[in-house]
Amino acid sequence: MYKWRKLKDRIFFAVILILSIIAITPVIHLIVVTLANGLSVIIRAGPSFFTSIPPAPTSKDVGGIAPSLVGSLMLTALALPITIVIALFSSIMVNEFPRNPLSIAVDVVAKSLASIPTIAVSMVVYLLVVVPMGTFSTLAGVVALTIVSLPYAYTYFSTYLRSIPETYREAAYSIAMSRWKTVTRVFLPIIRRGVLVTVLMTMARILGETAALLFTVGRYRIGVSTSILGPTDALPLLIFDYILTPYRNFQEIAWGAAALLLIAYLIIFIATKLAVRGVKL
Amino acid sequence: MYAVEMENVNVYIGNRHILKNISLKIPYNSVYVIMGPSGSGKTTILRVINRLIDVNRDARVEGTVKVLGFDALKKDPYELRRYIGMVFQTPNPFPHMTIYDNVAIAAKINGVAKNRKDLDAVVRWALEKAMLWDEVKDRLYDYPHQLSGGQKQRLCLARALAMKPKLLLLDEPTANIDPVNARKLEEAIVSLKDEITVIMVTHYPHQAARVADYVTIVYDGRIVEQGPANQIFLRPTTELAQKLLRGEI
Repeated sequence: MYKWRKLKDRIFFAVILILSIIAITPVIHLIVVTLANGLSVIIRAGPSFFTSIPPAPTSKDVGGIAPSLVGSLMLTALALPITIVIALFSSIMVNEFPRNPLSIAVDVVAKSLASIPTIAVSMVVYLLVVVPMGTFSTLAGVVALTIVSLPYAYTYFSTYLRSIPETYREAAYSIAMSRWKTVTRVFLPIIRRGVLVTVLMTMARILGETAALLFTVGRYRIGVSTSILGPTDALPLLIFDYILTPYRNFQEIAWGAAALLLIAYLIIFIATKLAVRGVKL
Repeated sequence: MYAVEMENVNVYIGNRHILKNISLKIPYNSVYVIMGPSGSGKTTILRVINRLIDVNRDARVEGTVKVLGFDALKKDPYELRRYIGMVFQTPNPFPHMTIYDNVAIAAKINGVAKNRKDLDAVVRWALEKAMLWDEVKDRLYDYPHQLSGGQKQRLCLARALAMKPKLLLLDEPTANIDPVNARKLEEAIVSLKDEITVIMVTHYPHQAARVADYVTIVYDGRIVEQGPANQIFLRPTTELAQKLLRGEI
């Protein structure tokens, strides 16, 4: 009986191990292939990979990704705080006043936004921002990225806030804390790890978003643009465009940019795990 | 004058009638014990007194509730709670704050301490009153998860005391802790009544007999019997009270 149980336990363990290996193999393959192809390009190009503009299609130079890199950084720097602030306050409002009609509306809208294809968001922003402005712009990209990442951040924040046991609210109220102080001095510190995780995951989402930028930022690659009202570029767009071309140097640029994005993701992922110590309830 | 006066208080949560015509008067500087079986409405009485009942959005309170001379149902609940500390059945210290901060926060929020020196003194006083100081004085910057259940509960008592409340509500404070910690908590409660009016909910007749000046017995949302503790324990007049005191319900 005992031997049979032990055998079943081993079989179960082996099945789990095999399934886990099957699940993570594509991820490992993706990481290895991207880093192998991309890092060699970055190393060959040297620092100019980050400071030069992309090469001409037939050029022998590797060139660089400066316009897309600066564009991505600007888009992230602008869209991330806007997204986080709106998502955090919305989730707090919905958590604190769940029966308020405005909260119900916010919750429904946020959840609905999550199911809208990001390319549709790009088209809407094109009509509402790009057409009236008469130009593609960083601003249009920021609006699209905010709309796309908002439901994501909102859902994360809401889940973390809902996970706080109600006993802490009662404890806070019992010492005469106001609702606002309860949120700022009890709830948010309790979920501080969740807040940071949300910020980092939203940043990763914004950095990697492609479809929302298709009709909004304008793929400006002939120089580095720092204008909010003018066109710009982003790394995912560069990768999307260049990997589909027949030009070898463009494909190399795309691999290099992909490796850079992947490294950024890995850093964000590790930072998320390590950065803030969770609160032990 | 009474610390708490309730007159014909009825509480409904949704369609359920939780408290039925509750009337009671709680004298200042006494330990007033509310007893009754589970689900009889004991905790609800406490939550009406400090308006924590408001957290339940389906709750409706009718009647007159005077707390420390205030009309409790009309007064701003956050203002009312400045005078009322509460310790819950399950210890709930703030997990992200150190032992020191858990106590200090109550003093800070309520303006009890003006500077760091005052705050240190209040924290020490509250931890001493809660009979916890000797156990934590060298680890004030540890976190609550490093304490035992009984220590956590006494930390919650210290937090409530750091507000310098006039009224202290204790909701079965020894329900989840060991006998040694329960005894320490009882000693703390008895020592407090010179300064604070204490209202305690408990299941245990023996505990009530040790600490109570007055007792109210609640059953199914109604008061079955109330009066001085000696009278209730020695000569209970109703059958329900007798059964409860014998531990039969």
